[in-house]
Amino acid sequence: MGLLTNLKDSISRAASTLFSEEDPKRIGIYGPPNAGKTTLANRIARDWTGDAVGPESHIPHETRRARRKENVEIERDGKKVTIDIVDTPGVTTKVDYTEFLEHDMEKDDAVRRSREATEGVAEAMHWLREDVDGVIYVLDATEDPFTQVNTMLIGIIESQELPVLILANKIDLEEASVKRIRNAFPQHETTPLSALEGDNMDEVYDRIAEYFG
Amino acid sequence: MPHQCTNCGRTFADGSKEMLSGCPDCSGTKFQFRPEGFDGSGSASDGPGSGGTSSPGEPSDASGERSGDAVSRRVGSAAATVRDLVGGSAGSDATSARRPAGESADAPPEGESGPGSADPEDDIIVAECEPVAEDAAQADARGGLATTGDLPDDPGTDATEEDVPEPTAGTDDSRTAVSEPDSETADRPDLAELRRELNEQFESIRVVEPGQYELNLMELYDREEYIIALQEDGRYSIQVPEAWHDGDD
Repeated sequence: MGLLTNLKDSISRAASTLFSEEDPKRIGIYGPPNAGKTTLANRIARDWTGDAVGPESHIPHETRRARRKENVEIERDGKKVTIDIVDTPGVTTKVDYTEFLEHDMEKDDAVRRSREATEGVAEAMHWLREDVDGVIYVLDATEDPFTQVNTMLIGIIESQELPVLILANKIDLEEASVKRIRNAFPQHETTPLSALEGDNMDEVYDRIAEYFG
Repeated sequence: MPHQCTNCGRTFADGSKEMLSGCPDCSGTKFQFRPEGFDGSGSASDGPGSGGTSSPGEPSDASGERSGDAVSRRVGSAAATVRDLVGGSAGSDATSARRPAGESADAPPEGESGPGSADPEDDIIVAECEPVAEDAAQADARGGLATTGDLPDDPGTDATEEDVPEPTAGTDDSRTAVSEPDSETADRPDLAELRRELNEQFESIRVVEPGQYELNLMELYDREEYIIALQEDGRYSIQVPEAWHDGDD
């Protein structure tokens, strides 16, 4: 009767999802290009669902469409927190195809990538306005956080009164400075991690449960 | 040589990076702005603030001739305003004072012994904010970010000399109070006004040339319709909110 039990279980699970009072919160992963947003999204998705969200690359603007991973169940202290992750394209105020030429890309491909990246930024901003219940803001800890994009995005997120978790990524790199990010956004808690190496992910999950549970 | 150390009188080209970590000669961190007209004739004894006569970047100047420069400055101001309006901490935010602080101020840009001059990073702002026409050195300085190693020391640990300002009353964090001048909050135009100015001057996506785009994030965020596809000629397809369809069909 294992099959029947499984079927019954999955029906009741579907029903509880359908009729639960609260849908999973939709958490947008935001940040500048190449901060490690997709690496983090993949890390979270793999840890809790076994699947990945999208391809990672060291070339900026690899993610040019928002990608969703739904019903990611994170268990913390015996409690389950269910979220939908939205991995968004990196936000920037300038997109220039010549940047991609350095990565051995043909001009046509670079121009197309640039156009798609720009559409991606528009999409990311649109999601921020309409469709997210909380934000994981990912910063590359080796880069200066005092940028117009970061200031503006954090400002918008605050004005929406969305819960925001700031992550200082790439702490596996020698030149990373978590302190610099803490100083940049003293009104928020900053959690260090390396999404690539999986360093400090336990704390990240604690924070996710705390902020978005 | 628009910048001059108020301590030893050494002059620096506009946009010079040298002065970002203090005067190389005397380690002074106060500089005055010497417009081109004063070139060569000025002396350090003139005192700070004499360059204030040329201060550009008046937020109310909406003519938009220098659109790129002016807009980016206003975007910075808008961002600061967004954060401050939302932050709710009555101007006690250190980060908002960093870049945008000097940018919207119409007071003499530097050399004043006013609040914030104890913070070495405030000198960085000053270097960015006053020129009307950006030259190569300025563009370079704007693009290059000083690493923490380039700075004299952390704010607070190296708050030397007499001009450490009084902490703003009513804030509980002295570190943040130091870098927020009172006048800043008073002079700041409200968010709606800034947003309107931005929207008038800068469309949400500007095609510089095929493959090169400039984006106005605030405008992209503000618009109800959603840009889904760009074309090389600068046209783009949008997805309009569902409510808009009702009247048409």
